[in-house]
Amino acid sequence: MRTKCHKIERLASDYIDGTLSEGQTAVVASHIRSCQPCQREVADVKKTRHLLRNFYVEPDASDAYYAQFTTQLQQRIEQSAPTALHQRFAAVATRLGWQLLTQMYRYTDHFRPSRFISIKRHALPYYVLALAMTLLIAAPFFLTQVSLHDNGEHVRLPSVTAQPAVTPATEQDMTMAHLIGIRRNMNSERTTETPTVDSGSDVWKFTDEPMVDGYIFAKFRKDSSDAVPNIALGIDSELLAYAQFPAQGAIWARLPSRDVLTEGRYALLLLRGINTGQHALQQYERKRSESKGFSQISEKLLDVPLEMLSVAAVYDPIEL
Amino acid sequence: MDRTEALLIADLCEGDETALAPLVERYKRMVYRLAVQITKNHADADDVMQETFIKVYRSIHTFRRDAAFETWLYRITVNEALNFVRRRERQRESTIETTPEAAYEASTRYRVELANDPHAQAEKAELRQYVTEAVNSLSLKHRMVVILHEFEGLTHAEIASILNCSEGTVRSRLHYARKKLRTLLKPYMEASAI
Repeated sequence: MRTKCHKIERLASDYIDGTLSEGQTAVVASHIRSCQPCQREVADVKKTRHLLRNFYVEPDASDAYYAQFTTQLQQRIEQSAPTALHQRFAAVATRLGWQLLTQMYRYTDHFRPSRFISIKRHALPYYVLALAMTLLIAAPFFLTQVSLHDNGEHVRLPSVTAQPAVTPATEQDMTMAHLIGIRRNMNSERTTETPTVDSGSDVWKFTDEPMVDGYIFAKFRKDSSDAVPNIALGIDSELLAYAQFPAQGAIWARLPSRDVLTEGRYALLLLRGINTGQHALQQYERKRSESKGFSQISEKLLDVPLEMLSVAAVYDPIEL
Repeated sequence: MDRTEALLIADLCEGDETALAPLVERYKRMVYRLAVQITKNHADADDVMQETFIKVYRSIHTFRRDAAFETWLYRITVNEALNFVRRRERQRESTIETTPEAAYEASTRYRVELANDPHAQAEKAELRQYVTEAVNSLSLKHRMVVILHEFEGLTHAEIASILNCSEGTVRSRLHYARKKLRTLLKPYMEASAI
């Protein structure tokens, strides 16, 4: 009962002001009918309000004072008005500026954000804080994007051309031929010659054109349904990554520093000469056996100097 | 906002200084009443009035037409008055000469108005004075809410907008202000047998 009386006491002020909801009003009315102390409480609040409204002497000043005030105010405004020529000019310019701004404000007022979003002024600091935190969190992402685009000096595709020799009869034939090509390249010896990447009936190779140091930005694919040949890009003694090549919509870009390989989906790799050394292949095999998926390879690639990257061999994604 | 007032505001926006005088004429008593109740000092209230109308004159272009001019004016007055009160409190900390209460007690017009009140001779004069003093004894926050709600007749939402706080805060302040007033006025409630 005490708890309820305490609640009623807090509501009494709003009750006599008539600012309670219908439900609350009914609860208070019903309670005070049966509770003498609360009845007195409400009656006291009513009496207090009555005393305030009927006996409080609102201050006022004499008419003479108001007349004097109006004159003083007018004088003060006139005194603050500019007198010198340059001041008048500045005042006119300011006024015109304000009028222009006012007109613009009126015109754009219809589209002001507050028509659509209600923000209480006292909550504004919290909105500002939330915005600052969002920017803080999003900044690294945007900076990465900007550096990718700004520093991405597009270079021509480094000497990789497709030379279709024979069109495969079926997709299955091509896949089989591709696998054969893989085996052959895996068993090849270390050589400084330009390797030929054989994907069955299509012959993909690095041409004899001067090699331009660059980076392959290739999209990884986990599924092997696509018959487009793939290459494995290896890193001497450390790591290999697998990239589809050339991928549809692949982007060629140059970055000034080491890269940028995120979550196994995209790789930005350096092509600096071609090295299919046996050691690299062995390392690749070891890493491949250790790694069960693209994500793990990709994560490790982040720690590898780009200068150590080299083209290793051709592998089918299924094997990875 | 009636048409005349809207036109006056529009003219003032356009730079017509003559539009200020009718607005001052219309709202001067309201501004003075509010200012003197917050500052409890006629001299400060006079300054607050000046600053308030100067601000209206200079910042009328920031007034949004979809809001009530009166509420905007209340807000400016309250802010100006609070600035004066804060400034005065700082001065009081540095110089212990005339306290605002002393100045208020010595403030002529307010007291003279009360003394010259024709009802002052009546038996309820004492009650009037007591109620007035009870309100003036409230803390500034509580006093402002009581003044704006009980005497100026503003709603909780309007007061919240003017004081830049939530409606819940206004309700709470009003509740505690009334509670204190009830305690202060308790003997008079019984004596006056309302």
